[in-house]
Amino acid sequence: MKLADCGSTWTKILDVESDSLEIITTREMVRRNGSPFAVATGHSAEKRCGIFKNELLALAEGGLSFVDKDDFSIVDVGGRDIKYIRFKGRKVKKIDWNLACGATTGVTIELLANYYEIDFSSLESVDSWINVTCGVFGMERVLESVSNGESPGRSVAEFIHGMVRNVFNFTQRPSELYLSGGFCDNKCFLDSMDKYCKVIPLGRAVLIEGLKNEIKY
Amino acid sequence: MENLKSKKLIGYYGFPERSVLRSVRERFGSDLEFIDLDVARGAPDSMVIQSTTCRIIANIVDNAMELSKRLTAIVADVGEGKCDRGRYAAFLLRKTGFNVIESRFPPEQFEKRPLVYSTAEGSLAERVDRIMQTVIQSPSSVNQTRACEPTHGFWGVPPHDFRILDIFPPTTHIYGWTRCVEAGSPGDLEMECYVDENVPTVFFTQSFCAKQDLAHHLAEKYDGLFVDCHRDVNNSILSKVEAFIKLSYPSR
Repeated sequence: MKLADCGSTWTKILDVESDSLEIITTREMVRRNGSPFAVATGHSAEKRCGIFKNELLALAEGGLSFVDKDDFSIVDVGGRDIKYIRFKGRKVKKIDWNLACGATTGVTIELLANYYEIDFSSLESVDSWINVTCGVFGMERVLESVSNGESPGRSVAEFIHGMVRNVFNFTQRPSELYLSGGFCDNKCFLDSMDKYCKVIPLGRAVLIEGLKNEIKY
Repeated sequence: MENLKSKKLIGYYGFPERSVLRSVRERFGSDLEFIDLDVARGAPDSMVIQSTTCRIIANIVDNAMELSKRLTAIVADVGEGKCDRGRYAAFLLRKTGFNVIESRFPPEQFEKRPLVYSTAEGSLAERVDRIMQTVIQSPSSVNQTRACEPTHGFWGVPPHDFRILDIFPPTTHIYGWTRCVEAGSPGDLEMECYVDENVPTVFFTQSFCAKQDLAHHLAEKYDGLFVDCHRDVNNSILSKVEAFIKLSYPSR
């Protein structure tokens, strides 16, 4: 039995029997066109699963599985959107989901990094930032910065810092924030986030964890 | 627009003063039907205004251009109950050749009518639609319905795409500009900002609408959900609202 979190750019697949997590591009998942997942969430999942679960519901249940505190905030930063939940007494107090305008910043970072051949493992965070109103406006600022003589690495680091500021504001400026998604592996993002609050990365399987309740009986 | 092809009409948008609506009818013909130009009616894009414009304003202009000569007059709400873009739309439509009559609905004419549909139980889309019909109907023609305790709230203007309303439970109360319309007080900012603070509320606006500032402020203040949407709703927006409805509950 397979559970999947099919994001816009990355798909995370959990084989329940072997407890192994496979992470592939969503492009590859679409190309495989295999048998439907038992339970799935994510933008690209709805037509490819037996049971579809809303992403925010998956994040809520996954967050509660990973974190044993009564009051906490969790954010999932994806390629296309940002999902946020604040719990009080382990009940949902506030949710938000950044879509369309103001979103698509995650995938823009990947596009920029691929274009400029940037290695995130060695990219240092910077104190300056650019305004990342949305992926398109942010990319325009990076291209402008590089045109004006700035290094691509520093320009992308400024983009990441600008995105971090957006995430911090979007999550209502918490003192501590649990992070879900691919940016848990991005040192520049984590170091930039540390300038604003304590960030605790939970990895890329939080939403999949939130799917497990669907197969319990 | 198939059943409107031969009829002469009076177009209107926003919430014009009733006295202005009456006088326009008396002047141009009491048999002429009113048509709300705010509503999505399948009119093609007229390309008169830029694409990054509130969809409701675009509907007004596109509907007017599509109906064209069938519109004997347009009664334009250009007061505080509408917005600057509504005022500019009146200016542009007049320049295009339409007979535009402006209305401002000043506070001294606010009516303080009882709230029936805003607090009733039943389909949210139907209740929003009925509230908007009260703009041109007399209050006595409003059917009574049963009031309910709210489990959720919808704040905002009638959306361009009503499908977003279909996912709310029947126990959803209506707030914001739509509630002001039912009360007969379309520019009452205090009433527009009122919500039951313990009721989880979705604060909805069209993208590129100035009400986004209010909606964002109120959503932060009351731990509600801010939703903006340009043109038609998509699955992501529906999922966002669906999750909020499932995860939130009144805190009384």
